[in-house]
Amino acid sequence: MAIGSAGRWFLLPGLVFLFAIDLIPLVYSAWISLYNWWLIRPRDIRFVGLANYLRLGHDPEFIRAVVVTTLFTSGAVVVEFLIGLGLALLFAQPFRFLRRLRVLILLPLFVVPVVGATMWRVIFHPEVGVLNYYLNALGLGRPPWLSDPTLALVSITLVDAWRTIPFMFLVIYAGLEVLPGELFEAAAVDGASGWQSFRYITVPLLTYIMLLAVLIRAMDAFREFDIIFVLTGGGPGTATQTVQILNYRAFGLGHMGEANAIGLVTLGLVALMCWALMRVILRPRPAGG
Amino acid sequence: MTRTRIVATVLVILALTLSLGMPAFSQGKSLTLSMLAGYKEDVLRANLPEFEKKTGIKVVVDAAPFGDLYKKQLLSLSTGGGRYDVLFMDEPWVPPFSEFLLPLTERMKTLDVADFIPTTVASGAFQGTQYAIPVDPNVQLLVYRKDLFEAKGLKPPATWDELLAAAKALHDPAKEKYGIAVTASSDIQTALYMLLAQWSYGAELVEGGRGSLNSAAGRKGGEVFLELLKFTPPNVRSYNFADVNKAIQLGQAAMAIQWASGAKPMEDKTKSTVAGKLGYTRVPKAVRQTPMRGVWTIAIAKNSANQDAAWQFATWLSGKEFGQFAVTYPSATSAIHSPRVSVLKDPSTRAALPYAEALLDSLQITKERPRLREYADIQENLRVTTGKLTAGELTLDAALKEIDAGTNRILGK
Amino acid sequence: MRPSRLRTVLTALAMLPVLAWTLFPIYWITTASFKTELALYARPPQWLFTPILDNYTRVLTNIPFMQYLKNSLVIAIGTTLGSLVLGTLAGYGFARFRFRFSEAVRFLVLVMRMAPRMVLVVPYYLMMQRLGLLDTYTGLVLAYVSFALPFSIWLLIGFFVDVPIDVEEAALIDGCSPLGVLVRIVIPIAAPGLVVAAIFAFLVSWNEFLFALILSGVEAKTLPVVIAGLNTDVGPLYGEMSAAAVMVMLPNIVMTVALQRYLVKGLTLGAVKG
Repeated sequence: MAIGSAGRWFLLPGLVFLFAIDLIPLVYSAWISLYNWWLIRPRDIRFVGLANYLRLGHDPEFIRAVVVTTLFTSGAVVVEFLIGLGLALLFAQPFRFLRRLRVLILLPLFVVPVVGATMWRVIFHPEVGVLNYYLNALGLGRPPWLSDPTLALVSITLVDAWRTIPFMFLVIYAGLEVLPGELFEAAAVDGASGWQSFRYITVPLLTYIMLLAVLIRAMDAFREFDIIFVLTGGGPGTATQTVQILNYRAFGLGHMGEANAIGLVTLGLVALMCWALMRVILRPRPAGG
Repeated sequence: MTRTRIVATVLVILALTLSLGMPAFSQGKSLTLSMLAGYKEDVLRANLPEFEKKTGIKVVVDAAPFGDLYKKQLLSLSTGGGRYDVLFMDEPWVPPFSEFLLPLTERMKTLDVADFIPTTVASGAFQGTQYAIPVDPNVQLLVYRKDLFEAKGLKPPATWDELLAAAKALHDPAKEKYGIAVTASSDIQTALYMLLAQWSYGAELVEGGRGSLNSAAGRKGGEVFLELLKFTPPNVRSYNFADVNKAIQLGQAAMAIQWASGAKPMEDKTKSTVAGKLGYTRVPKAVRQTPMRGVWTIAIAKNSANQDAAWQFATWLSGKEFGQFAVTYPSATSAIHSPRVSVLKDPSTRAALPYAEALLDSLQITKERPRLREYADIQENLRVTTGKLTAGELTLDAALKEIDAGTNRILGK
Repeated sequence: MRPSRLRTVLTALAMLPVLAWTLFPIYWITTASFKTELALYARPPQWLFTPILDNYTRVLTNIPFMQYLKNSLVIAIGTTLGSLVLGTLAGYGFARFRFRFSEAVRFLVLVMRMAPRMVLVVPYYLMMQRLGLLDTYTGLVLAYVSFALPFSIWLLIGFFVDVPIDVEEAALIDGCSPLGVLVRIVIPIAAPGLVVAAIFAFLVSWNEFLFALILSGVEAKTLPVVIAGLNTDVGPLYGEMSAAAVMVMLPNIVMTVALQRYLVKGLTLGAVKG
């Protein structure tokens, strides 16, 4: 082990910070979820144990929200991963013009989500939006992007993908850049094709980074809020009402116990999802060569 | 860069960052106001120096966006942080916030109450006590294209039946001309449209402490609303407040039911192709005429340390001087409508706001939403259920049952 | 080995649809900032037009935009520095130091990122209230570092583990301190990872809305809150929002362009090759 037990001093500042600023509030909010705390009646706080959680389990609206969120998350992550990976591979080639284009690809990340979503609403406007103007001109009619339940799900996935493909691209690209070039050269000398290089060198070495990117994205997509709220507000009906929107509603009404319970359940679901992904794909990495 | 220099730079930047975290301490009398961000804030800030000069009180404005102001005020008032002295709040928030607000019934008597439009004063009251003073009244109006009506020889509709007939007559989807614009999404406006219709036929959202929308009148109102959707632009199921405005502004809809606050943008030439062609009148009636009232008010926090200064501010904000300034302020977006009759009757107001007459007229006959602490929850349930109705997830009967069931559950019945 | 002509062309072709989709909304937002609302909804859509500056003047005069820009900038830089420093240290610690529950602790770090941020609002609000940090830069920086740190740590672990350990061990034998190894040898090799972590932390802070709304109000108000305020009770002010968004994008672009050159491979500074 390279640095031995000096390592603990490296870990201390970050971990102490996180536990103080992150873990304790999290525990506190878990504690709140065991109470019936309505901000409008701050003196009427009662301990209710797991009642908030049990109510969620029986609530069809919540279950539907979990389904919607899962659909959205899977769709979004798959699309974003594939396109992000493709982009990263394309950009890893030694072309000079790509250098300049790199910043352009990242632009959607720099747009404040609310503005991006608002502008997409303008673009998606069925009657006077620019997208449908050209689709109609091409004879494809005017799809009701935000008022049809299925299309609404597609729309929010599209906009989320638009916004976060740059992120996937960035993470995977950085990972590609750190791969030692000698490996590829050696493989080429040995007669390996591009595809074989990719499959046997890139993929194994990049697994950690790709998995991390997928994990983070899945976690974020599950908790995505701004884009969906601005685009559809959870509608039409409950077609795009995700768990986060339910959370927001409870929180907006001041029902802290309920809101925190929804939040903790989300945490549980996401943790489960991550744990499963990690167990299946990743084996613990050894520290050191 | 050597390591020492890197570390030194980092430390300096960190120190700078943290040192800038010191809050400035205030001198003299100062109030903190929780305000709505946007054009209302702009109008206020434009006239605030007048107030500060006259009274020597400094007002610090903490503005939050429309969708978030409620929860920001709720969090602050509920946790007793004492962050705000005065709060600009929408009238449905007065009942739930009442226990954190300073009762103003006695002080109210020193104001020129007679000049207030009577219904607007009620917007700040709860269970017999006055907690807030009206500042900016709003009401639902019927907006219509005078030119299109004249061309077809139609009169502006007075009843819901006439409204449906007029919408049908002016509905021509092939030419992208639609009878009327409303919302049919899961946005709150959809629920308020349906509620307006239901009120008109005599139904009540809450009666005798119980949900009472599932009645003959409620059903009739719901049916009329759903019927109206036949003469709207095709994608109203994704529409919100702004889209209704767009439909009028771009000349697509011949009519709209819209809050008065949306009228000024309709008359804005940089946004609207139909500025100057619009007429404003009361919303249609059936058994009764019940335009929905929505008044922005000013309240004082109970634990404010500057109650007298706060009252001075509230007096000024609801007063004639500020009111006159506000209605004629050339803000790009919309106006603060004064609650004072004298202001709304003033010729310069009439010149600045073409709909001022309709506004004053409708404000005399408004109906208010139930004054309950739990109203936000009830309205939320109404919103979601109406959204499911228009999306086809529920039938009208099922929706009405669900609305009432939700109301009863919330009220603990 | 120069790529073939064919590959060049194919690469360029593959880029086009993606670029178009990525850039069109940006173009639309940028042009919207120079249009009236009527022009924005014009049919046929206006790709070329006479720009107006009204939206920009309105945004810059109606609100103290520069003040909020400064706030956002200070907080974002503070967040980036905090995340990088704490993240690099912790990432290296996890990468090179195994202790009994290191896997579990690592996962716990990630778990803390899994809760919807909303559940942290009340605890953070109360905490900042008690510490007197409401509406200050420090309060927001603390909150944002806690948001950005878990991902930074995990990302940097990945990059640090990839650094050949013999290089580090050689340096240690030569008498270099562990911190020195980290700063002089590991960081340069793993630079792309740090760049991503920096950009990410900056963006987390720059775009964050909910906590900026709740934890700040007047002094430390940031740009996302200002922009959300342009979503008024009578609808979004498209022109002003777009103008504000364009101005908000610029620092990010500047930062990324500046950091770009560290994003490429080959930053090994005379490392010993085993």
